[in-house]
Amino acid sequence: MDRKVSRRSFLHQASAGALGLTLLSRSRGAAAPSDRITVAHIGLGGMGRNHLSWFAAFPDVEIAALCDVDREHLEQAQTELKKLRPESRAQGYADFRKVLERQDIDVVTCATPDHWHSRIAMLAFEAGKDVYGEKPLSYCAAEGRAMLESQRRTKRIFQLGTQIHAGDNYHRVVELLRSGALGEIHTVRLWMTSRSPGLGFPANRNPPEALDWDMWLGPAPMVPYNPARCHFSYRYFLDYSGGVFQDFWCHIADIVFWALEPRGLKSIEARGEPPWDGIADAPGWIEVDYEFEGLKLHWTTVPPAVPGAEGKNLAAFFEGTEGTLLCTYDTREIRLGGQVLQDLDHVPKSIPRSPGHQRNFLDSVKSRSQPESNLEYVRQMTLPLHLGLISYRLRRKLAWDSANERFIGDPAADYLLSRPGRSPWNIG
Amino acid sequence: MSKSLVCFSLALTLLFASNGKAAEKGFVSLFNGKDLSSWQFRGQPAGLRVEEGCIYSGGADGGDLLWTEKEYGNYILRLEWMLSGVGNSGVLIRCTPDSAWDSGFEVQLLAPWTPWRDDLHCTGSIYGYVAVTNRPDETTGRWHQLEVVCDRKQIIIAVNGETCTWADMDRVESLRGKHLRGRIGLQGNHSDPQQWLKFRNLRLRDLDLDPDYVIRGFRDTDPRIQRDTHGAAVKLGDTIVPRLCSLIAEEDSLPSAGARKALFEIAALASAPDAPKALRDKVVQALKDQAGSSGSETLRTYLGWLLGLLGA
Repeated sequence: MDRKVSRRSFLHQASAGALGLTLLSRSRGAAAPSDRITVAHIGLGGMGRNHLSWFAAFPDVEIAALCDVDREHLEQAQTELKKLRPESRAQGYADFRKVLERQDIDVVTCATPDHWHSRIAMLAFEAGKDVYGEKPLSYCAAEGRAMLESQRRTKRIFQLGTQIHAGDNYHRVVELLRSGALGEIHTVRLWMTSRSPGLGFPANRNPPEALDWDMWLGPAPMVPYNPARCHFSYRYFLDYSGGVFQDFWCHIADIVFWALEPRGLKSIEARGEPPWDGIADAPGWIEVDYEFEGLKLHWTTVPPAVPGAEGKNLAAFFEGTEGTLLCTYDTREIRLGGQVLQDLDHVPKSIPRSPGHQRNFLDSVKSRSQPESNLEYVRQMTLPLHLGLISYRLRRKLAWDSANERFIGDPAADYLLSRPGRSPWNIG
Repeated sequence: MSKSLVCFSLALTLLFASNGKAAEKGFVSLFNGKDLSSWQFRGQPAGLRVEEGCIYSGGADGGDLLWTEKEYGNYILRLEWMLSGVGNSGVLIRCTPDSAWDSGFEVQLLAPWTPWRDDLHCTGSIYGYVAVTNRPDETTGRWHQLEVVCDRKQIIIAVNGETCTWADMDRVESLRGKHLRGRIGLQGNHSDPQQWLKFRNLRLRDLDLDPDYVIRGFRDTDPRIQRDTHGAAVKLGDTIVPRLCSLIAEEDSLPSAGARKALFEIAALASAPDAPKALRDKVVQALKDQAGSSGSETLRTYLGWLLGLLGA
C-alpha cells in the first residue's frame, strides 16, 4: 500500500475499483499520515458541538470542515474548535453538499434534526464517506431501509450515536440475559417518565437572519418559521421527530434488541395523547404493546408495577421464567431465587468491551469491519419505534408482516411507513 | 307593517316562547315524559319517579341524584321545576358521578327557606361558589323556568327569562379546577319526606354539535379547552373539515396547530380498514373540495398528503 495515499481516497477508490488516481495526504500531528482520519461535522447544535469535542480529543483525527444552516451555530463551533485545536484550519459551510464534494474528507458526523439524518447519511455514503450519525437512525421506516441498501452498495462504515451502548453495564446485561440464568425471557417492559411538552403557543415570525429556514426544513413540509419548531425543541413535532418516545427509544430499546434479538413482530398497539398546552404534536404520553415471536414488549410513560421500578425515570425490566432483571443506563438489579443481586459471578465475561463509542467507530473506519451500533443492527432496533408511532397516530392496533415489512390489511398504515420529501429532497 | 318588521316580531315571539318547542332550534328533549330511559340512578332511587309527565321526587329523605347517561361539555340546558312549600333541589353541572361535588357544581333550586338563605345559596346561585346578582322569584307551588348556559368557562344562569348569575370559571377561585364536561344531575328533594319537587320540559342544545361553535375553541390557550375542542371536532368529522382548513391556513400558530391535529385524526379514523365506506367517502370529498379551493400552497400540499393516507 502506498503510504502517501490518504486512507479515505484509497478505500473509496479500491472499493470503486479505480486505483489510478492518488492524492497526497497532508502531514500533521502525531499520527502517521495514513492513520489520520479526516472528519467533517454536520449539524452543530448542542449535540453537534459534543461531536466536535469528542472527535477533537483523538490524535488521529483531523477536523477539516464544520457545517450548519445556522451561521450562529457555525461560528460558535468554530470558536470552540479554535480553543480545542488552535492550529485547526477547518473550513465552515452552510450547505453539507459542499462538504461531501471534498475528496479529502473520510468521515462525516451528523447531528442534525431527525428529518435530515437519512438523506445526509446516504449522500455521504454515495460520496464515499463513513458516517457517525446521531440517533434516531431515521425519521420513518422506509428511510432506514434505504439507508441500509445504500450502505451495502457503497460498503461504508456507519455507527449510530447510541453511546450508552458502549458502557460496561449494557455489555454485562447482555451477558447475563444471554446466559439463560433468568430462564426464558418472555416479557420486557420499557419506560420513560418524561412527557413531551406542548411548548405553548408562540407566534410565527420571520426566521432569524443567520438561519436558512428552507434548508433547515429540507425534506420536511414547508411551514412558516416558529422558534418552537426549530433548534432543540423540533423533536416535539411529528414533522421532524417523535418526541420523548423517539428520543429515548434508541437508548433503552437498544439493550433489548442487543440481548434478545427479538424477531417476528406480529402486532403493535399504541395508546396516547398529544400535549394540549401548545403547538407541538408529538405524543405527550404514549404506551405501546408489541408482540414478537415469543416475546411481549411494552413501552409506557409511567413506571410499570414491577419490583424496583418505582422512582426510576428510564429503565428496562426483563421478565424471565426463573428471574427478572431491571436495568438503567448504568445500574442493574437481578431478582433470582428470592435474592436481589447486582451480578452473577458464574456468568463469564464473553463480549469484548468497547474502547468508547466514537473510538469504536474510528477503529472500524480503519479496520473496515462494522462497529457495535452498526446500521444493520440499529435498523432492526429502530423499526418498532416508527411502527409504534404509526399505531399512535392512526389510533388503532396494527398487524405486521415482518417478513415483508408491511402492515397486514391496512394501506393507510403502509402509507405512513414513508414520507415523500419536499423537492429537491425526494429521495429515500 | 313592513315585511322586515313582521320578521322581527316573529323572531321576538320565537325567542320568548320558551314553552314552544318548535321555536327552539337545535334543542333535544332529555326526558320523554314516560320513563327514565337515558337517565341513571346512583344509589337508591329514594322516591324519584315519573308521574303525570314529570320527574317527581318526594316521600323520602332523598337527596339522591339522577344522572344523564351521556356527558356534555358546552350546552344550553332548559327545564321547568316546581317545589312544594319548603322543598330543596338543584341541577348538577359537568359532574363525574363518583366525585360529583369535586368535579362539578350545583345550580341551586330552593324554596324561600327558614332560615332565610343568602344570595350565595338561593335559587339560581352556583351553590356556595357564585352568588346571584339578581335574585329570582322563589315562590313555591308554581312552575319556574331555568336556563343554564355552559359556554366553555363562561357559565350563565337565567330564571324565568332573567339572567341572575354569571361566572367566568377562571376568575372564581373555587371553580377554577372544575371539569369542563360531565354529566347533568337532578337532585332529589332533600328537605324532609313531606316535601316534593317536579321537573318537566328538560331539553338541551349541545353546542359541541355546532361546527361554528366548536371551531372557536381552537383559539383558546387553555389545554383543557384545546383537548375538548379536539374531541368535539373529531366527532363532527367531515362537516367541520372546511373550517379546520381555514384555521390551518391562518398565520396564527394557535388555531392552526390545534386544527391540524384534529384534521389529521379525522382522516386517520376514516382511513381505518373497518371504517364505513360512506364515512371515508365524505371525508375524502371534504378534503378534495378544500384542496381544490384553498389559496394556500402549504395547505394544498398537506391536504394532498392526507388524501394519500385515504388512498384517494
